[in-house]
Amino acid sequence: MDSLKLILCAVAAASLDICALVLILAAYHERNTGNKRWNRMTSFMELADYNTSYPLGCDEILIGRHASADIRLPDLSVSRYHAMLTISNGIWTITDIGSKSGVFVNGNLVKQTQLRENDMITLGNRRLIFRRRSDVNVR
Amino acid sequence: MSGNKCSYIFSAIFVLLAHAGMLLNVFLNGNYSDLSDVIVLAGAVIGLDLVYFIIMPFFKQSTFTIDFLLLLVLNMSVIFQSCFGGVHLSLKHYITCITALIACRAGYLLCRNHKWLQMQKKYFYIGIGVLMLVIVTLTGSRSMWIYLGPITLQPSEFIKPLFVLACATSITEQQKKHKILCFHVVYENFALMGITAAICLLQWWCRDLGSLPTFIGIYACGFLLRICYPKAKFSKKKLIGAGIILLAVAVICMKFAPAYVQERLHADIWNDINGNGYQQAQALIGIANGGWFGKGPGYGFLHNVFAHENDIVFATISEEWGLLYALMMVLAILIIVMLPLINPPRSYFHSTMAAGVCAAFTVQMALNIFGSCNMIPFTGVTIPFISSGGSSLMTSGFMTGMLVASQSPVFKPPKPHKKLSSFNLRRQKA
Amino acid sequence: MKSIKRCQGIISLFLVFFVAGMIALVIKIQREASFYMMHSENYELGMVYDRNGDVLFDGSGNEEYEDNYFIDVGNLIGDDKGQMTNTLVAQNLEKLNNYSFSAGLVREGGKAAIYTTLDHEANRAVYNAFGNQDGCAVAYNYKTGEILVCTSLPSLDVTKGYENISDFRSGTLISKTLYGTVPGSTQKVSTVIAALEIMGADTLFSKSFSCSGTYVNKSGDNIDCHNSYGHGTQNIQQAVENSCNPFFAQLIEDDDLPLSQVKKVYEKLGYAVNDDEEEYFDIDGIKCQKASTTLNDPYEFKTQWGCIGQGDTLVSPIQLMMWQSAIANESGEMTMPHLIDHTTDVYGKIKDNAKTQFSDRLFSSDTAETVKQILLTNGENHYTNLITGYKLGVKSGTAQVNEGNTENSLLVGFVDDPDLPVAFCILIEDKNNTSLKTENIAQIMLDALSQN
Repeated sequence: MDSLKLILCAVAAASLDICALVLILAAYHERNTGNKRWNRMTSFMELADYNTSYPLGCDEILIGRHASADIRLPDLSVSRYHAMLTISNGIWTITDIGSKSGVFVNGNLVKQTQLRENDMITLGNRRLIFRRRSDVNVR
Repeated sequence: MSGNKCSYIFSAIFVLLAHAGMLLNVFLNGNYSDLSDVIVLAGAVIGLDLVYFIIMPFFKQSTFTIDFLLLLVLNMSVIFQSCFGGVHLSLKHYITCITALIACRAGYLLCRNHKWLQMQKKYFYIGIGVLMLVIVTLTGSRSMWIYLGPITLQPSEFIKPLFVLACATSITEQQKKHKILCFHVVYENFALMGITAAICLLQWWCRDLGSLPTFIGIYACGFLLRICYPKAKFSKKKLIGAGIILLAVAVICMKFAPAYVQERLHADIWNDINGNGYQQAQALIGIANGGWFGKGPGYGFLHNVFAHENDIVFATISEEWGLLYALMMVLAILIIVMLPLINPPRSYFHSTMAAGVCAAFTVQMALNIFGSCNMIPFTGVTIPFISSGGSSLMTSGFMTGMLVASQSPVFKPPKPHKKLSSFNLRRQKA
Repeated sequence: MKSIKRCQGIISLFLVFFVAGMIALVIKIQREASFYMMHSENYELGMVYDRNGDVLFDGSGNEEYEDNYFIDVGNLIGDDKGQMTNTLVAQNLEKLNNYSFSAGLVREGGKAAIYTTLDHEANRAVYNAFGNQDGCAVAYNYKTGEILVCTSLPSLDVTKGYENISDFRSGTLISKTLYGTVPGSTQKVSTVIAALEIMGADTLFSKSFSCSGTYVNKSGDNIDCHNSYGHGTQNIQQAVENSCNPFFAQLIEDDDLPLSQVKKVYEKLGYAVNDDEEEYFDIDGIKCQKASTTLNDPYEFKTQWGCIGQGDTLVSPIQLMMWQSAIANESGEMTMPHLIDHTTDVYGKIKDNAKTQFSDRLFSSDTAETVKQILLTNGENHYTNLITGYKLGVKSGTAQVNEGNTENSLLVGFVDDPDLPVAFCILIEDKNNTSLKTENIAQIMLDALSQN
């Protein structure tokens, strides 16, 4: 009787464990599909420097010199918090959040503007290009 | 959904298997005189599973894991609650579980669009205010219950999700700074601080000291995320330093606290085993009695103790199902809270919301489990999902819905912004 | 993104704290589960054995035993019925419970047991030697601290229950070895120790006082000697052998022996001087009362009487025995007695192996050597014929109790033999009512112990 009880407990516990494990695996799987969905929603865009590219992983992205900024540009001409990128309905918008040197898109000083593919953004001395992700075509 | 069809079906099968394993245990080990009781229980649990699996795909979500986990845990709790002191379907708990599932759906539908949600923020404050008024006028000073015929409600529970929503914030919102003297401040942060203070005072007045840490936990979480970001005036070092100082102050306060407070903190339950320490002492004896593998569903003693189905539910489950199983149940709840780590939300608002929900759940579980095991003072809070109690289950369901929303968000603007659209036009001309 | 990461960080922080708490909880439950179980009505006790594997207490109640099989240890080992609380079983129920968290409660065949250091056979021999006389005897190995004999009369057979508890004689439910009793002249050992510590051996041996049967002290009270013809002029060695009260009264009054310093030595020895709070020391969970006395004024009757061992002074037999160990070891450190050699858990795994422990230094080793010599000389001169076959250091005592109506006879001492390192204390109550002498019991006890 005792051993039967033990086995039953073990079976019940194991089935619960496996279930939890499967659900965690499912969550990982969902993360992949979620990423794809997000990329589709954000029109596969990224910001790129001359040598680095910055993925746009969430709907509000701070750009600045401060260590806590999402996209960190370690350059004294860039304010600590310089500009913010936001997305809505698949359209990215850049907003100046009180920077000293201003935000230039394709050479024009702007306070807030929508971005289109291959726009050139200038923050202080740094230039960033808003472009389609290069790895998109591979998939 | 399309890409997840395979994992959806697999998850469903394994949730069913987990419940089947538990039911098998009840069937072979349980304390029942009439087999029909077990069949009714099995039917109810499996039936609910199946119905939920069929309904779920109609919601166009991108993730379903949390829903599965919620269903898993809720049906587990139905089985647990039905077995206390003999197998018999606990219809009341079953119905509240279904309500919780519905609340979860509601939470999801309400919270999935964070842009829309942010515009409703003033209603959260109004809601909290109304609930506080209700508490002040209807429950009275030393109570936390409202009696509506056969239903008893605990209004302070309903404040929790609203408070989590009020604590959540987006970066854009934190950028709306106003200058007062030489400080840049965000008005909303002050509003939040005010309402937190009001809630704490109210809880103190009600002597609902169990909920107090929950609110403080949620607020601490929200507060940290507000001051850290986006104006990160506080570096990690400073934060850790502040934390250590707070801890030291707390320890010193403990040491020099008046005698009656200390007495409450270090209650020796074994000297007062038939008085104030009764519940905790019985709970610990119950856990010891159950051992790793339990006495078998329905064979426990603790169902004779007051509040066995909510305040000391961890011990009751431990006694009947074994500590191993009780720990696994806690693990299942932890996985729900943990999912935002695996599958991160895509907006700051949603992630602060998820952090708030996490704070609420873990603090509540900690208070309940550690309290009933005499590690911290015993307060009558509930474990989310497991304890019986309509208000608690509904709010837990709703908050889980908020987690689901943070994982399957909808990014649609509430309305095209006027200024922005004119701006667009100009841009398009150019 | 960093902002989202920060939220995740906070979530992880909460989870880490919670999980750490859960781990602490599981460890706590693991360690304390058997303590919790003892508070329920649900336990299954194991056995208590003596050093040779003989049963001293049977928690299972399955076996049959002879009548009065356990009577010699009845009030020391006790039982779980709750009538006696200061007993080995009552204080160590947790160790005796056939329960472990992973095995649960084992109803049949659990191996939880306590293996004590007692020698049941010797103990029973000593118990029987008392016959109808009340009293107690305790002996232990002063090298290791193992209590070998510990019996107290009247006693009870715990297997017979407590139905006629109202008929029990007073003192049945306690082991008298644990509680303070008037030490009589055995107290003079402590006074000699104090004198040696304060003035040194040479000064003490140079002192001599005369005794004429009675001594009128400086405050005008009479200190009587048990020998009404007096002992004449004596030195310390003779005074100890004669157990002369006037000598010690004069010693206390002596200017070389300031009372404040006597107090200090007494306190070091473990006395609660002048109504200090009642204290206990612990022998495997059993509480043993600490000695107490009154010392106010060197010329006062009460103080002198206290240093002679009558009046307010109370010492438990176990403590008297422990001081003997400090003397016999020639170190001034007492060997702390213990009763549990080891215990076994429900699976029979041995744990809690006892270790020999010593007290702080109570007095210098020089003092110990001198006192040892005094006691050995006393033993050689007066007890060689009474207790044969052992090299003994002893001090006898007669204690007046019940306001002088009855007299108790005491004998403390040690065997100076590396093969039989035993220190003991024997107490016979109401000695004038019986022909039984403490030396008879000592002889039986030492014979029984040396045979094993």
